Amino acid sequence: MTTLAWVAVAIFTVAYVLIATEKIHRVKVALGGAVLMLLVGATNADEAFFSPEAGIDWNVLFLLLGMMLIVGVLKRTGIFEYVAIWAVKRARGKPFRVMVILVVVTAVASAALDNVTTVLLIAPVTFLVCERLGVAVAPYLIAEAMASNIGGTATLVGDPPNIIIASRADLTYGDFLVHLAPLVVVLMVVFVGLCRVLFRKAFVYRPERVEAIMALDEKEAIRDRRLLVVGLVVLVGVTVAFVLHSVLHLEPSVVALVGGLVLMAASRLDPEDVAREVEWPTLIFFAGLFVMVGALVNTGAIDTVATSAADAAEGRLAWASVGLLWGSAAISGVVDNIPYVATMSPVVAELVAAEGGGEQARSLWWALALGADLGGNATAVGASANVVVLGLAEKAGYKIGFWGFTKYGLVVAFVTIALSTPYVVLRYFVLA
Amino acid sequence: MRARDLAVPLPTVSRSTRVVEAARILAQQDLPGLVVVDDSGRPLTVLAGTDVLAMAVPRYCINDPALARVVDEAAADVFAHQLGDATVAQALPERYRELPVVDDDATALEIAALMARSRTPLVAVVDDSGALVGGITLDALLERVLAP
Repeated sequence: MTTLAWVAVAIFTVAYVLIATEKIHRVKVALGGAVLMLLVGATNADEAFFSPEAGIDWNVLFLLLGMMLIVGVLKRTGIFEYVAIWAVKRARGKPFRVMVILVVVTAVASAALDNVTTVLLIAPVTFLVCERLGVAVAPYLIAEAMASNIGGTATLVGDPPNIIIASRADLTYGDFLVHLAPLVVVLMVVFVGLCRVLFRKAFVYRPERVEAIMALDEKEAIRDRRLLVVGLVVLVGVTVAFVLHSVLHLEPSVVALVGGLVLMAASRLDPEDVAREVEWPTLIFFAGLFVMVGALVNTGAIDTVATSAADAAEGRLAWASVGLLWGSAAISGVVDNIPYVATMSPVVAELVAAEGGGEQARSLWWALALGADLGGNATAVGASANVVVLGLAEKAGYKIGFWGFTKYGLVVAFVTIALSTPYVVLRYFVLA
Repeated sequence: MRARDLAVPLPTVSRSTRVVEAARILAQQDLPGLVVVDDSGRPLTVLAGTDVLAMAVPRYCINDPALARVVDEAAADVFAHQLGDATVAQALPERYRELPVVDDDATALEIAALMARSRTPLVAVVDDSGALVGGITLDALLERVLAP
């Protein structure tokens, strides 16, 4: 490796540690790192802004932007509150049934939208429902964060790492549905069973409280029917367009952006108001991250890692997949999975190419996605959804704490990864 | 017209006063807010009636207006019951607003500008030594400036 490559690696390592330890805000670190990479010549404006391999991945940024706009409108419709309360009432106040319903609603919503948004929407309903039932809210919130991480694994737009992987690997929405969604359904069934055991103390049934739940009027949540209809039509339209990628040949980023803009116009809401819902700092973080990783690609550092990984994996692809699955899970449990996947993607891309790019080689992508998404459940800081839920609980006066989450998270992450292992091995190697 | 002409004695609370108590004073004396004083009686800030409400209303209803709508009338009527032992210190907004305090020689315009800027319906009036002279409510101020 050249001196410049080592300099780039050093800058990247320091930035990565700063992001992981959260000593400095991640947006500052990512931008600072990107600027340093540009200044030392590890990348340049041409590469950073225009290279598909070593620059900002605009597909990822605009897909995120489009989805954020869609969510910004959808959250005002009251549909989440309506569905959640309607479903909880069907559980007739039985605490375990309520939890099952809440985690299933969360998982499904988070497959269609991103995880953080989903937990932000479901958490307030959970506070209300648990208060009415007279049960502790913390187990329900923890279960929802985990369900959002599991559910988000199922689709291309469900979890940011999947968006990055899809763009870098040229995988379609349909690919994710075919390769990950079936496993996620199984994982959700197992997860519900785990909830029964892990949170058994939280299920205190109080018959006298049932009336308080049944008295809630979910219809009141929806005030603007027109907005709801427009919102749902656009969401369904966008999802159909994602699925029909092979027919329409529209990039997911284009679909989401068009969907977001159409919804913004059709909703008749103040565009400035909706634009405030976009998490601009997150988008800037992604941009900075891509420039930093791009510098590693440019200087050949990624190539070096990929070559030695390819040598190690040669003839042992199944082992490489399993190793990537568990390794990704372990790393994503401790650090944010977005920078991890952004860094690993170019490495995996070279590995997949070196192995011929067939179905078996592409199993590496699925191993990376499963490891990064499901590994996020392991600790309280493993995924953004966990952090958000802990923050919400604390603001409402219920302190969950790092270990309060992690003692359950480790079990759930271990079991889901353990179940994913035979899935990857059997589907892509033994039965292939 | 100066602040000292407008100021009237108003009840005060300390940071450790229970919010329930503060709410009761607000309701009984028909006040828009209360001056919060430190141990030596100097004004610290103003507790607005809406700060008390924010304490009484479940946070999920503030964050998500749709949830406030789904709660049935019977339960909605008793929302304030969860104030418990919360204190004034907990009810004050995390970010302090501009201290709504004026000297006793402030003009009506000065007072009105401060109220408008800090969006507080009550300002405390202090003398040269910083001791509380009294308070001026939005109502009282408007009444005086609009008087023919």
